[in-house]
Amino acid sequence: MATVTYSKATRIYPGTERPAVDHLDLEIGDGEFLVLVGPSGCGKSTSLRMLAGLEDVDDGSIHIDDRDVTHLPPKSRDIAMVFQNYALYPHMTVYENMAFALKLRKTSKADIDKRVKEAAALLQLEDYLNRKPKALSGGQRQRVAMGRAIVRKPQVFLMDEPLSNLDAKLRVQTRTQIAALQANLGITTVYVTHDQVEAMTMGHRVAVMLDGVLQQVDTPRALYDQPSNVFVAGFMGSPAMNIKTVPVTEGGALFADMTVPLSREQVAAAQADGGDGKVTVGFRPEDCDMVSPTEGGMPVVVELVEDLGSDANVYGHAALNGTNERFVVRTDRRHMPNMGDTIFVKPRPDRHHVFHAVTGNRI
Amino acid sequence: MRHGKYPFIVGFLAAPVAIYVTFVIAPYAQAFYVAMTSWRGVDANPSFVGLQNFERLLQDDVFWTALRHHGVLLLAMPLITIVLALFFAFMLNVGGGGRGGAMTGVWGSKFYRVVFFFPQILAVVIVAVIFGRVYAPDESGLLNATLGAVGLEPLLFMADPGIALWCVIAVLVWQAVGFYVVLFSAGMASIPKDIYEAATIDGANRVNMFFRVTLPLLWDTLQVAWVYLGIAAFDAFALVWVLSVDRGGPDRATTVLGVEIYRNAFEYSQFGYASAMGVALFFLTITFAALTLRVSRRETIEL
Repeated sequence: MATVTYSKATRIYPGTERPAVDHLDLEIGDGEFLVLVGPSGCGKSTSLRMLAGLEDVDDGSIHIDDRDVTHLPPKSRDIAMVFQNYALYPHMTVYENMAFALKLRKTSKADIDKRVKEAAALLQLEDYLNRKPKALSGGQRQRVAMGRAIVRKPQVFLMDEPLSNLDAKLRVQTRTQIAALQANLGITTVYVTHDQVEAMTMGHRVAVMLDGVLQQVDTPRALYDQPSNVFVAGFMGSPAMNIKTVPVTEGGALFADMTVPLSREQVAAAQADGGDGKVTVGFRPEDCDMVSPTEGGMPVVVELVEDLGSDANVYGHAALNGTNERFVVRTDRRHMPNMGDTIFVKPRPDRHHVFHAVTGNRI
Repeated sequence: MRHGKYPFIVGFLAAPVAIYVTFVIAPYAQAFYVAMTSWRGVDANPSFVGLQNFERLLQDDVFWTALRHHGVLLLAMPLITIVLALFFAFMLNVGGGGRGGAMTGVWGSKFYRVVFFFPQILAVVIVAVIFGRVYAPDESGLLNATLGAVGLEPLLFMADPGIALWCVIAVLVWQAVGFYVVLFSAGMASIPKDIYEAATIDGANRVNMFFRVTLPLLWDTLQVAWVYLGIAAFDAFALVWVLSVDRGGPDRATTVLGVEIYRNAFEYSQFGYASAMGVALFFLTITFAALTLRVSRRETIEL
């Protein structure tokens, strides 16, 4: 049971100018499941490895509870980690893999046995305790890696893309198992993934990173509904939000013939800091309707219709300021247009997001 | 492909097999035959004497001395070489600890890696000549000059029957270690880094890491090294011939079977007896290799 605090933690790899993790400030509550998400190279794994002690912290500090662990070796931090490739010891059986850390701590034989058996029961690994990792399937190996972390009863779990080597179906299944397990054990968990669906479904809170800089930390819902900048808006959600930079007038943002209404404060904010008469507006594919030509929608020529079974994604383009801009609309299957049709798209009132055209921050 | 399959295979195999039979199998067979004659190297029809040469061998003190030396070589040389090579390879690859994430070697490890390999590219005879100077019994020798400089009495080294064999072993180890450092380094490099990281997080220090992670995962490489070194321990001919006093001396204190075979064949012209020694050496080597592979057999580890 512990909290984790990053205070201005920075990592600069030798020989590079730009920090891989730049002044990361992040507080993770006791028992919280925090997901670090971002595109590859954004510093999410580095942040996790800094907490694990596998990477140096060049500046700032990291605390677990009130203990400064910034320069402690990994074994003194009381953490356990699940690796992307599981990193099981190939020469040990499942039992020995799980018992290894306890054995190194000189835990008594009986205690080791009890804890390994408990973890094995929890993860349905009892039948495989005497097998070597090579005789296990991917999902079983993943569970052994989890078990190795669980038997330690650490203060913090670290997981570095633990599901990315599983097939799609198993991934969804294991996703819920991990979330349930974490809720059960109540151990503070930091989970790294590049998959925003995993982030949305598993995390109590989600931290979005880009280029080593933390963009936003919030609950999945708030992140989705109130993205703090253009990057978060575009990263969370699939298909991605339609985000366009368009001219701004007194009445709102101009999308060809359609005006998306903005409040006076928003217009004023868009003009400040060198906004240059432009504003960035985004609306999610599910937050717009197809309307009849007379209702003031934006004409979009359909290029592709993705029928997902439950609903459909319509991809198309519209002429905005002389260039063709692409749009995605999620629609009911009963109103699926055909390729080449022109549809009229209108964002639902007050479901659009407004960002500054230059800084990208939410207005 | 069914028809004409055998001519095809035979076409490829004929030449290599013929060469192999002529230059490897036939000499072996002839050696077995010669071992049972009293051939002196010149007469066209040597007289067949059966196992008489082998009976004589069992009575021969020199043979047993040489055998005992092989025993010492077999125990000491692979052991010292492997322990040293493992230690160096570990230091070069993971000994630097987990600074900055990846496990790295100690400072300057790339340089050491090259330096360790130097002895390997020298011919044995050159090594023997060099160490002849290093071990020189007077102040002109590197070691005795050093001993003299710190005020110690000079040692005889190769001329002292008590330590001469160990001087030979030291040279053998010195020359072999570089190759095994490279061999073990390659083995260690194939162990995934995240296994080391997992072990670090599990609380393994360097000693634990070495004995519980690196060593078990290197087992296959180690086994190969042991067989190579063991077979090398049955040889040592060239080094002893050039380096030792009186070719295997003083008073046969460093002699090995190869030296005695050569001496019997080409100095005493007892080809039959020398061949009998050769046959004995053949069986010793093959028994050793088979035993080692059998005893150390373990489940292959898949990384």
